[in-house]
Amino acid sequence: MEERRYRSASGAPIALRRRQHSASCRELAVRCPRLQLHSLSASTSAAWLAAYGLFVLTENSMVLSAAIFITLIGLIIYLHFVKIDQESLLVIGSLGIQVTSSYASGKESTTFIEMNQVKDVVINEAIHMQKVIYYLCILLQDPGDPQGVSEVVPLFQSSKPRLDCLIEVYKSCQEILEQRKTAPQSS
Amino acid sequence: ENSPAPLPERAIYGFALFLGSWFGFMLYLIWAYIPETWLFSLGLTYWPQKYWAVALPAYLLVAVGTGYILLFGINMMSTAPLNSTDTITDNYAKKQQWKKFQEEAIPALRDIPISEVNRMFFLPEK
Repeated sequence: MEERRYRSASGAPIALRRRQHSASCRELAVRCPRLQLHSLSASTSAAWLAAYGLFVLTENSMVLSAAIFITLIGLIIYLHFVKIDQESLLVIGSLGIQVTSSYASGKESTTFIEMNQVKDVVINEAIHMQKVIYYLCILLQDPGDPQGVSEVVPLFQSSKPRLDCLIEVYKSCQEILEQRKTAPQSS
Repeated sequence: ENSPAPLPERAIYGFALFLGSWFGFMLYLIWAYIPETWLFSLGLTYWPQKYWAVALPAYLLVAVGTGYILLFGINMMSTAPLNSTDTITDNYAKKQQWKKFQEEAIPALRDIPISEVNRMFFLPEK
C-alpha cells in the first residue's frame, strides 16, 4: 500500500493511494483536498455581508434570517451532493470494476461494471470548458460488434488528476486487464 | 464543374445586385429624411412609420452583438460531453476499410483505435 501526491487539473493537491489485495485485485483511490476553512469563512462572510447590505436597504429583518437559513441549507446540500472527498477504483480481474465516490457528508455512491462488459480502460483527451484535459475512462463493449464501443464511462470526474497520476492508474489497470487475455475463459 | 473563376453570368448577377443595393439605399434615405407632408403631396401615402427608420438599424446592431455571444454559446453546447463515444470514434472511422500492408510502400492512412494508441504512449516497451 502506498500513497503519492499529485496535482489535479486545476492545481489542487490530490493523493493517490494504491493497494494490491491479490495478484488480480487492485484498489486505487484518489483523495481530493478537504473543504478549506478559509474558503468556507470567506464565502459565508460574503453572503452575510450582502444580506446585511440588503437589510440596510430594505429595513426588513427577514432578509437576515433568510440569509442564515440559506447559508446553512446551502452548506448541507454542498457537502452532501457536490463535495467529493474520495474517488476509488476497485479492479477485480475475473469479476469486474467497481467505482466508488464518497462525499464529504459521508455518502457513498458505487457503480459496478462486470468484466465481460469492459472492453478497455484508456486515457482519453477531450475538450472540457475551453481546455483540453486527459481523463481516464472505461470503454464498454458493444454486444453486437466486437470492435465497437457502446458507452464511455469517465472516471475521477471531480478530482481530475493530471497525466502523471493517470498514467500510474492506467498501468495498474492494464496489468490486471492483460491477465484476462492470457487466462483461459472459464465460462 | 464548380470553380470560383469569373463567368459572364456572375458578372451580370454582381452588377444587378450592385444596382439593386444602391437603389434600396437611396429609397431608405428618401423615406427616412424627406418630411411626410412632401411625400403626401407627391401622392405616396402608404409608407411604414418613420419610427422604423431608426428602430431597424438599432435592432440589427443589437442582433450582431448578441450573435457573437450566441455563437460562443452554440460552440460550447455542441462540444461532445466527456461520456459520449464521439470523443473516441465516429461513423467514418467505424466504416473504414483496412488496406493490406505492402512492402516498401507508405502505409495507408487509417484511424488507429484508442486502446492501441494508449498502449504505445503509456506502456513502456520491454
